[in-house]
Amino acid sequence: MSDTLLPLLKKLLSLSGLSAYEAPVREVIAEAWQPLVDELSVSRLGSLHGLRRGQGAEPRRRILLAAHMDAIGMMTTQVVDGLLRFTEIGGIDPRILPGQPVIVHGRRELPGYVVQPADRLLPKALRGKPVPMSHLLVDVGLPADEVAELVRPGDLISFAQPPIELGETVLAGHSQDNRASVTAVTACLQELQHMRHAWDVWAVATAQEEETLGGGFTSPFEIRPDLCVAIDVTFARGPGVSSDQRAFPLGKGVTLGWGPNIHPALFEAFQTLAKQQDIPFHLEVMPRHSGTDAYATQIVAEGIPSIVIGIPLRYMHTPVELVSLKDIRRAGHLLAEFIATLQPDFMNEITWDKANE
Amino acid sequence: MKSLIQKLVESIGPSGYEGATREIVRAEIAGLGDEQHIDALGNLIVRKGHKAANGLRIMLSAHMDEIGIIATHIDENGFVRFTTIGGVRPHTCFGGRVQFVNGVRGVIGGERLESQDKVHTFEQMYIDVGASSRADCPVKVGDMAGFERPFLDLGNRLVAKSMDDRISVAVLIEALRQFPANSPHEVYFVFSTQEEVGLRGATTAAYAIDPDLGISVDVTATGDMPKGPKMEVGLGKGAAIKVRDGGMLSDPRLVRFLVNTAEQHNIPYQLEILEGGTTDARVIQITRAGVPAGCISIPCRYIHSPSEMVDYGDVQNVVRLLTATLSGPITLE
Repeated sequence: MSDTLLPLLKKLLSLSGLSAYEAPVREVIAEAWQPLVDELSVSRLGSLHGLRRGQGAEPRRRILLAAHMDAIGMMTTQVVDGLLRFTEIGGIDPRILPGQPVIVHGRRELPGYVVQPADRLLPKALRGKPVPMSHLLVDVGLPADEVAELVRPGDLISFAQPPIELGETVLAGHSQDNRASVTAVTACLQELQHMRHAWDVWAVATAQEEETLGGGFTSPFEIRPDLCVAIDVTFARGPGVSSDQRAFPLGKGVTLGWGPNIHPALFEAFQTLAKQQDIPFHLEVMPRHSGTDAYATQIVAEGIPSIVIGIPLRYMHTPVELVSLKDIRRAGHLLAEFIATLQPDFMNEITWDKANE
Repeated sequence: MKSLIQKLVESIGPSGYEGATREIVRAEIAGLGDEQHIDALGNLIVRKGHKAANGLRIMLSAHMDEIGIIATHIDENGFVRFTTIGGVRPHTCFGGRVQFVNGVRGVIGGERLESQDKVHTFEQMYIDVGASSRADCPVKVGDMAGFERPFLDLGNRLVAKSMDDRISVAVLIEALRQFPANSPHEVYFVFSTQEEVGLRGATTAAYAIDPDLGISVDVTATGDMPKGPKMEVGLGKGAAIKVRDGGMLSDPRLVRFLVNTAEQHNIPYQLEILEGGTTDARVIQITRAGVPAGCISIPCRYIHSPSEMVDYGDVQNVVRLLTATLSGPITLE
C-alpha cells in the first residue's frame, strides 16, 4: 500500500458520516480525490462524484465505480433522566454494544458510552441474555438538565473507537464497511495517473447505501454510465463460520460476485484479467440481493451491466471490523488494470448470450 | 375542516380502488389548482403556482388509499374468505364490519377457536354478507373492501378507520386552499395511490414531476398510551417533523429548514423517529438523480386499526407548517 493510502484509511475510520449525514467523510474523500480527477461534484443526495476523463475520442464510454461512504451508527430517540435511548442506522448487532465508546452529535459533540442495566434489574424475560437495543442507553456523564439542553431526538450517535493496526497488514476499526472500498477506489485512481485509458472513469462515493441504496440508485441515473462496478466488503472466514458457508479467507484475495445481479460477460472479463495479472480472487456466489449498490445500479434507467468486487472483512457491522490492507490494494489494482483494458468497442463484446456460449 | 375530514375518512378506497375517495378530492379542489390530471396509476395531481427565480418545484404527497381486504373464495353457503391489502392485523378484524367497493356490507366472523386466548388467523376468518348460498352472494372473488366505522368527533380528538392517510389528504386540500399568493414555488399536490402496498403511486408521480424537493404528509405512531412503545411523539404536541422512519432518513437539510420554519412561526412541532413503517417520501428521495425529501407527520394512535385517533390541533399545525414552508424561499444547508 502506498504511503498515502494507510493514513487516508485511518482518517476515514476516525470519522462519523452516518447514512444521510455523510458530510464529514465526504470532505476528506474529496480532498484525497481532488488531485486524481478532473472534476468533483456532489449529488442531490450527497454522493461524491469524481470524473477522470479518458484519452479516447469523444463521445467516450463511461464506467462508474461505486463505493459507499456512509456508515452504520445510532440515533437518539428519547432523552430520559439524562440518559439516551436510541435506535440504529443501518443494521447493528446489539450484543456488541454495551461498553462501546461513542460520540453523541448534540448541540456539541459529547463523548459517552453505551451502557446496560444490571442483569437483575431487567424484566425477567430478558435476564441472562444479551440485552436488546430497546433496553440499552447512552450515558454522557452530564447532569440531566444539561443533557436535556444539549441532546434531542434525532441526534446522531457514532462509534468512537480509533483504528488499530494489527500486525503488518490488518487494520481494525468501525466503518471499514465501506471505507475500505473507498480507499480501494482511491488506490485505483492513483494507479490510473500512470496509465492510459480510453474510457471516462466516474469514481463515486455513494450515500445512504446502508438504508436505501440511495446513492446506488440516484448517481447512475445522473451519470448514465455504460458499466457499473460496486466495490463493497464481504464476509471473511471467522469464528463460527464453516468453510461451506459463503465466506472467504482474510488477506488472500478479493471476490468477484456471480449471480443474477452480475452481468456474466462482465464477470468473465474481470475473471480473465485477474488470472492474467495473477491477482488472487474467489468467486462469490450471490443468489439473490448482492447486498451492495450493484443491486440498485443494475436496474437504473434502461439497465446497466453491473458487477461486485468484494473485500473480505471479519466481524461485519461491529466497531471492530477487520480488513487486510493487501486485499484493498488488490481491489484497487484490479480496477485500474480493468479500466486500462477497456476499448471503445467493449460494449459490443459483452452480451448475456456470449457468456453462455 | 371536520366535515371534509368526515367525508374523506368514511369513503371506501383500498389500494388500487381509490375511485370514491378521488371523486371527493376532485370535487373539493375544483377551481383551486392551475392544472390537474389523473395519471396512469390513478394519482390525482394538482399543480399550483409558478417557479420564481428563488423558488423550487415541490412535490407534496398524501395517499388516498387505505388498508382493506380482497375476497379470495366464496363457499357454498355464501361465506367469503379473504386476504389482506396492506398491513391489516388479525386482532383488529373479528367482529368488525367491511364495505365492499361495490357497496355490499358484511361482518367479519371466525371459526370456533380451540382456545379463547388465541386470536383468529386470517385463514380462520370469513366475511358474512347475509347470503345463504354461493349463488346469492353479492360478492365475487377479487372484490375489494375497506373497513367500515363511522367518524367519531371527540372534540379535540378525532377517530376514524382511515385517518391513515385521509387526514393528510384533508391537510393537503386545506393547504391548497390557503396557498400563499406570494409563494415562489411551483407546487404539485399529489393525492397518491397504492401507498399501503409499496408506495407505488408516489413512485411514478415523483418520476413524472421530477421535483427539486419532496415532502410527504402521513400519520406517525405515538408513545403516549399506557405501556405504549418507547417513542417521544405524542398527540397534541404539534406537527411531527420526521427525522427517520423504518424506510428512510429524511434529508437533514430539510429537517433543519422545517424546524427553523416552525420556530419562526411559533408552530408547535416535535421531532419524529419512527422505528417501523415508511411513507411516500422514501420513493421520492431516490427518484431519478435523487430528491431532497422528508415528511411532516400527524401523530396518530392505533394506526391500522378501525379506530385511528388524531389530535385536531396537530392537524391544524401541520397545515400551518406546510403553508409557512410554501410562503417563502427554501434554503437547504
